[in-house]
Amino acid sequence: MNIRCAKPEDLMTMQHCNLLCLPENYQMKYYFYHGLTWPQLSYVAEDDKGGIVGYVLAKMEEPEPGEESKHGHITSLAVKRSYRRLGLAQKLMNQASQAMVECFNAQYVSLHVRKSNRAALNLYTNSLKFKIIEVEPKYYADGEDAYAMRRDLREFADDDNKGQRKDDEEGEKHKHRGTSGTHNHSGHDGHCC
Amino acid sequence: MPSSDPLPPKEGALFRKLLKCYEMKQYKNGLKLAKQILSNPKYAEHGETLAMKGLTLNGLGRREEAYKYVRLGLRRDLRSHVCWHVYGLLQRSDKKYDEAIKCYRNALKWEKDNLQILKDLSLLQIQMRDREGYKETRHHLFTLRPSQHASWIGFAMSYHLLGDYEMANNILDTFSQSQKSIEAHDYRHSELLLYQNQILIESSHLQQALDHLLKYESQIVDKLAVRETIGDLYIKLGQQEKAVPIFEALIRRNPENVLYYEQYMAARRVTNSGAIVSVYREFQEQYPRALCPRRLPLDIAVGEEFREVADEYLRRGLRKGIPPLFVNVRTLHQVPEKAAIIEALTLQYFENLTRSGHFSRADADAEVPLEPASALVWTALFLAQHYDYMRDTDRALEYINAAIDHTPTLIELLITKGRIFKHAGDPVEAYVWLEEAQSMDTADRYINSKCAKYMLRANMVLEAEEICAKFTREGVSAMDNLNEMQCMWFQTECALAFQRMGRWGEALKKCHEVDRHFAEIIEDQFDFHTYCMRKMTLRAYVGLLRLEDVLRRHPFYFKAAKCAIEVYIRLYDKPLASETTIEEIDIENLPPSELKKLRSKQRKAKKKAELESAQAAQAQVKREQHQKSKQQANQETDPDAPQLDELIPEKLERTDEPLEKAIDFLKPLQELAKERIETHLLAFEVYYRKNKLLLMLQSIRRARALDATHPVLHSCIIRFMKALESARQEQPFNVHVQQVLDKATKELIGKKTPQQLNDEFIAKHHTTSILHLYEAARGLYELDASKKAAAIKLITDFNLSKLRLEEATKIYTALRDGDVFGDCEKEADDYKLKCQERFQYARIFRNIEELEAQLQEKEAAKLRAEEEQQQLNHLDSNETAASLGGLASVAAAS
Repeated sequence: MNIRCAKPEDLMTMQHCNLLCLPENYQMKYYFYHGLTWPQLSYVAEDDKGGIVGYVLAKMEEPEPGEESKHGHITSLAVKRSYRRLGLAQKLMNQASQAMVECFNAQYVSLHVRKSNRAALNLYTNSLKFKIIEVEPKYYADGEDAYAMRRDLREFADDDNKGQRKDDEEGEKHKHRGTSGTHNHSGHDGHCC
Repeated sequence: MPSSDPLPPKEGALFRKLLKCYEMKQYKNGLKLAKQILSNPKYAEHGETLAMKGLTLNGLGRREEAYKYVRLGLRRDLRSHVCWHVYGLLQRSDKKYDEAIKCYRNALKWEKDNLQILKDLSLLQIQMRDREGYKETRHHLFTLRPSQHASWIGFAMSYHLLGDYEMANNILDTFSQSQKSIEAHDYRHSELLLYQNQILIESSHLQQALDHLLKYESQIVDKLAVRETIGDLYIKLGQQEKAVPIFEALIRRNPENVLYYEQYMAARRVTNSGAIVSVYREFQEQYPRALCPRRLPLDIAVGEEFREVADEYLRRGLRKGIPPLFVNVRTLHQVPEKAAIIEALTLQYFENLTRSGHFSRADADAEVPLEPASALVWTALFLAQHYDYMRDTDRALEYINAAIDHTPTLIELLITKGRIFKHAGDPVEAYVWLEEAQSMDTADRYINSKCAKYMLRANMVLEAEEICAKFTREGVSAMDNLNEMQCMWFQTECALAFQRMGRWGEALKKCHEVDRHFAEIIEDQFDFHTYCMRKMTLRAYVGLLRLEDVLRRHPFYFKAAKCAIEVYIRLYDKPLASETTIEEIDIENLPPSELKKLRSKQRKAKKKAELESAQAAQAQVKREQHQKSKQQANQETDPDAPQLDELIPEKLERTDEPLEKAIDFLKPLQELAKERIETHLLAFEVYYRKNKLLLMLQSIRRARALDATHPVLHSCIIRFMKALESARQEQPFNVHVQQVLDKATKELIGKKTPQQLNDEFIAKHHTTSILHLYEAARGLYELDASKKAAAIKLITDFNLSKLRLEEATKIYTALRDGDVFGDCEKEADDYKLKCQERFQYARIFRNIEELEAQLQEKEAAKLRAEEEQQQLNHLDSNETAASLGGLASVAAAS
């Protein structure tokens, strides 16, 4: 396994991985939009042959009303079923979070997850210390509600070792099924310019 | 901007408003303004207004009228830069970039310093990779607006893309010296510094690059890039000791990065395999959760040391029950010694776990605690995957069945069982297991996708689409949605399934869809030319440009293109009858039973078509609604994207020029996938059919340069010699051509005749390689059709136990289809029987009757189940009807 920052040439394979694993899909342009606006924030996990088996696609969002600075957002996170239970999702998330803090001064990272996706919910709550902020009714195209979640990133500031410590602390706890994913509305069509 | 045909103040004001409306996308208002100007008889033929009217119409999607008015306007005022600019914009929106560039150049003739036109021109130039032109335009823009940041960046970038690093670096240097105040956390400034550093590295000025980074490190916010690059530069510049702490820190930050460990070893100059393994052991201590320090030593260690680390690695994985344990050591199997050790270890675990619940006898003797009960299942799964990799189907099935008996609900086991059947040549049994797995976790798209893929391998396109529909958007057919989402794996697998079934048109449709995705992705870069300059993400931008340059090198393209080329070649060899004639022939000559079948098939097809058109209509409505809502939200859409021709299978498969179409797919491969020998072998097949001797020769030479021993090359050479001979007889060659051909012939076969060459080839390969022998047999038959029996005997006599399934399949299909050795049904049947014994699971060698009976049985079982269900439903609805009887009669009465 190899975890590294995604390059433009990885984006097509990330799209492929997304189409295999998740119901929320995007056209290539939306991947380009991420990779060319926030090149530091997306990460991939590779197998021995350089095939991409998992990725996190991330971006920055403008401050919410009443907030001072920008925050990170996870657009999509997936790990192929055949590579689950290695803790890849968690490791990908921690790398992306670290970069959000360093490059863009992110205070926290947000994401949406299907209410029914218990495996992912478990990962976010127990392993990554995300908190549920609110329920967004009918967030997904098929009418399912989403939990809007947030993780405070202050712990990543001024200390580039925390990511690893985070990985170390948990991992053992959730034995069954890594994650299956989170994603944005299908409303995003990659309008970048 | 001064106009060549100025309007008086009142009309002039209207015209300016018209321009504004176009910019604001208020096309309807714009149209009114244009009419207002044109309604004045004095200005009814005002060129610029006519042109703008056209452009506005284009915004409304009225393309034909748009062209009409823009051209009319231009004709009225050929000296107007506005008219030329507008024509350029129209062509650009129609993706005719070369034409648009010409228009912009004409516009600049009349208004050479127009910023907007220059900017638009530069975008097209970079999109079309006219790097020289781009540099000139950026230079022009720079001299016009030297105070703008973007002018400097674009200017430098244009030199970088031409490979003039010195100039690019100088421009950026001068620019950054002029930068006065730098904010504390300035992302754009940081990106620019890293971009400049990239230029230094690409020009091999490594010391300069290192100095540059060390000087500016505090201003760079991308800490990861800085540390990675500095560490790498230290190593390359021979200052390894300084790189050690850097890679230590990087590993601490991300202990799952393979490169960091390699760099760390390089920095510490650890080269001996034993030493490397012990360094990894230290990292294991330090980062107990990390995967890399445990896995990477397996690549390095050999012999007894390998056994030791593999033993630790496997036990840990089996104890914890990690499903990807096997896939993570699969690459080690390429080394036979390592594969043997892994097999011996896991067999030993299985035996001991079964007997005492320990991994080894030593553990049992030492009375260490028992392993978890699940360890046995995971070990059985591992062994099944191992034997599957070794293509030992019987043993693989033995272990997977043992595992399933133990834990029938573990989905991974069913997937593995399916995969074993797939590899053994039974795609139908394979999909059955995947479908079972899928039904056990319907919320997981990954298993759903795999199930669809296995269905496609079994040529079940409709079923695959149905399965996929569980995860595609409602209201749109799954096929359409998957196409919209650029789901290339699915479309390529569909194409291959259609190809196997001989549904050529549908196969081509899918291949063209994939090709269009690539065209679209190339198109996608357009908006980023300006966007990235603004965002200053220049490293990523250069990465994008370089990616797009070679986009069709992607394996997805190769697969689809290969399929398309093969299908077009097939259609050239055996063109299809026109649609109407099939109808007639079929009806006249068919026996009643066949006719009945045909009719029912037609009925089904009609029904399906009706259903599909209904779905399509529905989808259209949805799309329109979607479009509307998008526009309402004032999101940017591309109303002027050119409409592509609809891909109609019946038309695609009846093309008049199949070889030209094949060449369309071939060209990108020849340019971008020239390192793949298949490219040149495919090229040969096309040019052989076009009887282009020099191009055949070119393909052979390129293929030979890659692998002179490739079996197919032999048959290419033989066929080339034959084609050469008959061309010579027809008419003498031009002197130069003759020279080239003579030289090449000498190089390829010396003074031998093709017969001699073929005989030698047979002698050389007749016991060692079936694929070579097959090509030799083709040659034998090709050169002398009377040697058919000998040719066939040559390959059918080859020792079957040495054959792989793919090889036997190739030989058998060649015999069965009769298009290589002529008709040889008897030999094909005999060969099939022999293969049946050797590859007992492979479907292709089984009897049709047997398979059909099996299928019917399955169908019947399904029908019975459905009937039972219907009866139950009926029962239910009767009960409800009874209880609602009163209400129903009331309803009927009202």
